[in-house]
Amino acid sequence: MADNQIPETTPRGLSRRDIIKGVIAGGAVSSAGYLFRTSVVGAQSSAPGSVERLITLNVNGQQRRVDVMKQETLATTLRYKLGLTGTKLGCDRSECGACTVLIDDVPHYSCSILTHTTRGKKIQTIEGLAAADGTLHPVQQGVVEQQGFQCAFCMSGFIMATVGYLKVNSNPTRAELAHGISGNLCRCQDYDKILTALMHGAELQRKA
Amino acid sequence: MAKAPDNPLPSHPRYKLIGKDYTTPDLIAKVTGRAKYAEDYRADGMLFAKLLLSPVPHGHVRNIDASEALKMPGVKAILTVDDMPKPADAMTDLGQRIPANPLGERGLTNDPVYQGEPILAVCAVDEYTAAEAIEKIKLDIERLPHVVDPLVSLRPGGANARVEGNVWLRPTAPPGQPAPPPKVTEVKWTDADFAEYKDGKLPMGKATDPEWSYGDVDGGFKNAALVLDETFVTPNTSHQTLETRTAMAYWQNGKVFVHVSTQSTAQTAPAIARWLGLLEPNGQPDLSKVVVISEYTGGGFGSKITSAISAIIPCILSKKVGAPVMMRISREEEHYIGRARPSLHGRVKVGFTKEGKVTAVDMFVVMDNGPYDPQGDANQSGRMLSLMYQPPAMRWRGITVLTNTPPRVSQSQPGGFQGIALMEPILAKASRKLGVDQVAIHRINAPVGKAPIGPPGPNGKRLYVTSAYVQEALDRGVEQFEWEKRKALPKRSGTKARGIGVATSCFVGGSVGFDGLCVIKPDGRIYIQSGIGNLGTASVSDTHRVTAELLGVPWEKCEITWGSTARNLPWSCPSGGSQTTHAHTRAAYAVALDAKDKLTQIAAKDLGGKPEDYEVANERVFRKGGGAGMSLAQAAKRAIELGGIYDGHELPKGINKMTVTSAQALMGQGLLAVARDTMPRDGQTHSYVAGFAEVEVDLETGKYRILDYLAVADVGTIIHPRALGGQVLGRSMLGIGHAIGQKWVYDQHYGLPLAKRFHHNKPPTILDAPEKMQWAALDIPDPETPIGARGIGEPPVGAGCMAILNALSDALGDEIFRRAPVTADMILASLEAGKPATEGLTAHI
Amino acid sequence: MAIIRDIMPAFELYQPANTDDALSLLSRHGKEAWAMAGGLDTFDWLKDRIKRPSVVVDLSQIKELTGVRPMGGGVEIGALTTLTEVVRNPTVKEKFGLLSQAAELVASPQIRNQGTLGGNVSQDARCWYYRGGWKCYRAGGNICFADTPTAINREHAILGADRCVAVNPSDTAPALIALDAQMVIRNAKGERVVNAEDYFIGPGTDIMRMTVLRPGDLLTAIRIPATWAGTHFYFEKIRDRQVWDFPLVNIASAAVFNGDQIERIRIAVNGVAAHPVRLKQVEDAVTGKPRNAATADMAGQLAVQGAEPLRYNGYKVPLMRNLVKRSIRGVEEAKWA
Repeated sequence: MADNQIPETTPRGLSRRDIIKGVIAGGAVSSAGYLFRTSVVGAQSSAPGSVERLITLNVNGQQRRVDVMKQETLATTLRYKLGLTGTKLGCDRSECGACTVLIDDVPHYSCSILTHTTRGKKIQTIEGLAAADGTLHPVQQGVVEQQGFQCAFCMSGFIMATVGYLKVNSNPTRAELAHGISGNLCRCQDYDKILTALMHGAELQRKA
Repeated sequence: MAKAPDNPLPSHPRYKLIGKDYTTPDLIAKVTGRAKYAEDYRADGMLFAKLLLSPVPHGHVRNIDASEALKMPGVKAILTVDDMPKPADAMTDLGQRIPANPLGERGLTNDPVYQGEPILAVCAVDEYTAAEAIEKIKLDIERLPHVVDPLVSLRPGGANARVEGNVWLRPTAPPGQPAPPPKVTEVKWTDADFAEYKDGKLPMGKATDPEWSYGDVDGGFKNAALVLDETFVTPNTSHQTLETRTAMAYWQNGKVFVHVSTQSTAQTAPAIARWLGLLEPNGQPDLSKVVVISEYTGGGFGSKITSAISAIIPCILSKKVGAPVMMRISREEEHYIGRARPSLHGRVKVGFTKEGKVTAVDMFVVMDNGPYDPQGDANQSGRMLSLMYQPPAMRWRGITVLTNTPPRVSQSQPGGFQGIALMEPILAKASRKLGVDQVAIHRINAPVGKAPIGPPGPNGKRLYVTSAYVQEALDRGVEQFEWEKRKALPKRSGTKARGIGVATSCFVGGSVGFDGLCVIKPDGRIYIQSGIGNLGTASVSDTHRVTAELLGVPWEKCEITWGSTARNLPWSCPSGGSQTTHAHTRAAYAVALDAKDKLTQIAAKDLGGKPEDYEVANERVFRKGGGAGMSLAQAAKRAIELGGIYDGHELPKGINKMTVTSAQALMGQGLLAVARDTMPRDGQTHSYVAGFAEVEVDLETGKYRILDYLAVADVGTIIHPRALGGQVLGRSMLGIGHAIGQKWVYDQHYGLPLAKRFHHNKPPTILDAPEKMQWAALDIPDPETPIGARGIGEPPVGAGCMAILNALSDALGDEIFRRAPVTADMILASLEAGKPATEGLTAHI
Repeated sequence: MAIIRDIMPAFELYQPANTDDALSLLSRHGKEAWAMAGGLDTFDWLKDRIKRPSVVVDLSQIKELTGVRPMGGGVEIGALTTLTEVVRNPTVKEKFGLLSQAAELVASPQIRNQGTLGGNVSQDARCWYYRGGWKCYRAGGNICFADTPTAINREHAILGADRCVAVNPSDTAPALIALDAQMVIRNAKGERVVNAEDYFIGPGTDIMRMTVLRPGDLLTAIRIPATWAGTHFYFEKIRDRQVWDFPLVNIASAAVFNGDQIERIRIAVNGVAAHPVRLKQVEDAVTGKPRNAATADMAGQLAVQGAEPLRYNGYKVPLMRNLVKRSIRGVEEAKWA
């Protein structure tokens, strides 16, 4: 079929062949094969700014040693290498917010930040919110008390976005909190009750 | 029996659990991130599958050269349609064979009928390798003519979406037998049929769906004071569940274990068995070979009724490679295979008396069905219109057109939404033309009591509903929304216009005939089995509070088991179509009665007297008026000693086979209660919503804000207020999304979708929601079901959408829009032009 | 080659700690290198496997490219400063609130927390044909899919189209043009400064680029002079969804009024052409005129002269016209009884 019949084509860059060669040189043979891939362009450790694969992440107050590919996003590292599956992938395109985590107390879409970029920063996920004795974070407690959310696939992201927003505005109006968490999408669309629950969480946090 | 308890209105003080808020058993896991959805599982040695999607909207794969891909280290297998089972016939409970549609989906295909249809799957050690492998595959595809617009396909010379034709023919079932499979045929209308197209009026050529009518339609128009004939187009909208239909599967001991996202735990097992061809000799799905695991599902809205056929891809791959296989579905893949609501192009002619009472309706719809199984939306749109507005005479005609666009399926209020959307603008326009208040025109046409619905049946009589309190809902809304006060406000100020709108909406509100199963154990607790899918609507636990209520057991002593067919679940309805609250409060009622029977029998055996001398309350069974009795714990122990019917060694007839298997697995552990809901019901159960909205339009930009929205639900007895409120406003928002932005976009020449991302398809954000939202429920029990509860998942959708659009036309008049969604560009362009300026009938713009 | 739009292909990653290292990496790898700021534009291209750089130079670790510094009555904003920092910076808010307003309307909170001012003004076109991987002019092909008889081009250009009809989607770009900002660009050879207005280019200049940046170039800072500090600002963005959406049209203006008279004014509009459009002609026409409805109407009409709408974007003509009107006379708010 002629090229103009399939308008969606991927440009064949000069480097394509090299990329594939590099990738398959890893000879992945197990489901953990991706852990042992070699780098694409070869050893260039002397170059300024070059990065190593074995890095330490500060996640939920713990130092976690982890082997990370160069193109790996934080969401995949958290979910598949650290087992923190409370962080959800809803779109993997920074549109839905289900993957929201705090990086140095600031909400980010973890699907759209390289894990390497978060080295030396404090990462907090939904699993790191409750106290060690199981006492829920006030925002979690607010959701429980108001039965916020339905399917809850978006819930971790909304809760993390709220916890992050409350760090800069601990006493928001309903409209302010709605703006603060507006980077999160809910498809059950129960936004009104979500906001009620999160406002309640903010109130519990102020009282705590 | 089966009469609702005569509850005082509007609340039920005698209930301890029903009508009360509580913490659902899944909530702590959800807020702490411990709740596991299908993609959250990892199994030892797990491999990963990725899909190769069709690049063309319609074609035939002549050859697949996967040699380069298979040479890659880490690539384990490739799956094509040749590995997929053929569509299997289905069997009804009564053993009737429902023949498979030979043109149905098989999960993979060599004959793609929409761009994005999966052609093959690659299984590799990880997703990175699988993706690289996909790029090494060479497809030789013959391109076939395509069409993405149903009206283009109906034009003379228009392309057909399938080689067999462009229109589904739906044969009617012979008496007492299932309908033969539908057939695809070719239908083209004439140029003369299309004469009015350029004026934005829907052409009405030959209609092929089974037409129906009742009453004197011509007479109705003759006697009308006003006749309106309007065209309206509803949008195609993807379900866009936030969790995609990811699935993971592995085999052990000849059984496939599959982690899925589904609206029904119980019913997904037979669906997967059928798709995989795992059948018993009699053709029934072999449930001993499938375990479905789904504790949490990230949204369904009708798109995951029994999960998804794509779930069998990892099942088959797993068998092929001998390892667990995870198939994560990307957001873009979800856009293709994740299902969507079919749009209706509708033309409805309505006669009104001068008071606004509908005298006759003549309805014609063209359904954009997508390429696969014919959907019920077209016909249902007419049925729901006939119920909601009670025309004394009506004719319905329709045609189901195939297009090369993603497969359609039911979406919240399927067909009902479209019917409401086609009719409401006409009602609003009539209210302006006749000078009748919007609420009044809805009220005068509202169904009351056992109102008739749809066409006459084979006996010549029309069916009717169990109950309807729409007028009460409107009255409540008028008061709570301060309708009259808002009506008196000016419509223009500065560069802004404001308007208020009301819409009514309805849908089926529940099914019957499902099973309940629970065990009262010697620890005094009740262990309740729930086969309902857990989508977060809370029905998975809400409905069982009826059992606890009737047995007088505190909720803390009830354990709900759900989420895996290995956990001995009863046959349950899918959490869809507003069925569950009705169906399973009934099943829970039935199983509570069974438990009560057994408890009183045990008490009579041990303590003397007759069973009817005993009653059950406060965790005890005791002689009426006080006296001898025993605790539930003691009775459970006695049930085990007695065996037989008491602990499940003997099971009643008539319960579903799945329930039998589950009950057998649970026998001997306590007092086993199991029952099928066989309680009578006079009428078809439906639920209703009246929606009220106020909007403010910026006349210089076309942007509008929704200032306020109120939904009043006529949904029977309230079971769980917070969950009900979430459903009412959540589904309202889904409807509002249809009003303000959700859509598909196609380039018709290429037949390819342009809008595949959230910011293209425009699901509403929290900042698009009305600035104020409220809900109310009448809490009037339905008289035809014990407890009196109906379902609510569907009717808020149409009310939400159309209250907004009626408010818009109240603000701006009738010359702004004739399709949904209504966006700023449409409003501004129409205000400039002084007439509807957006193309009326082109699909997917 | 079959297509899959998922999973980022492998690349070599560099995270230099200073600008010099970044420039030397970009220079060494030339066209193979992809300079990445917040990454929010980048990851779409990479995850869709449409753009395949073998080297990604992640600028996120370069502290010297972040922050807002006073500069001669104005400010210099490091190109890597996040949009959230721009929004919250008190000096920017006080003197150049136009930019704060624009930055706050970008995408979503999380994107503003990570997306940078430099990235926002340098982002690529959002045309869904181009972004979908269709091989159009902008992708090195020889057709514009958005300008065919069946094309859906509601979001596309009404002005200055030259083969390609994509628009510039930036919200901060028109604000920076209205504020007469300057863009500081460095490469291995040195530094150059261009006016914001000249930073953006149309397809007539280069159909495959949105800005003057060439491989090896880095936008390092944005300087806003004192010229328009504390003047009267107007910013409005019209979009489908009230968060996470690109502008259908947006407008930014800075004005000085003397009583009822317009003493001086700068206006820029985006979402209507391949580059943000400064309305110099309108500015000249209204300067010295009274600030009233008649002047505003005249300005609106003048602004859309020469507009050539496509099949589905005719609404952009009245929308741009009305926004220009509002930028002069303001919005007449409703007063419901």
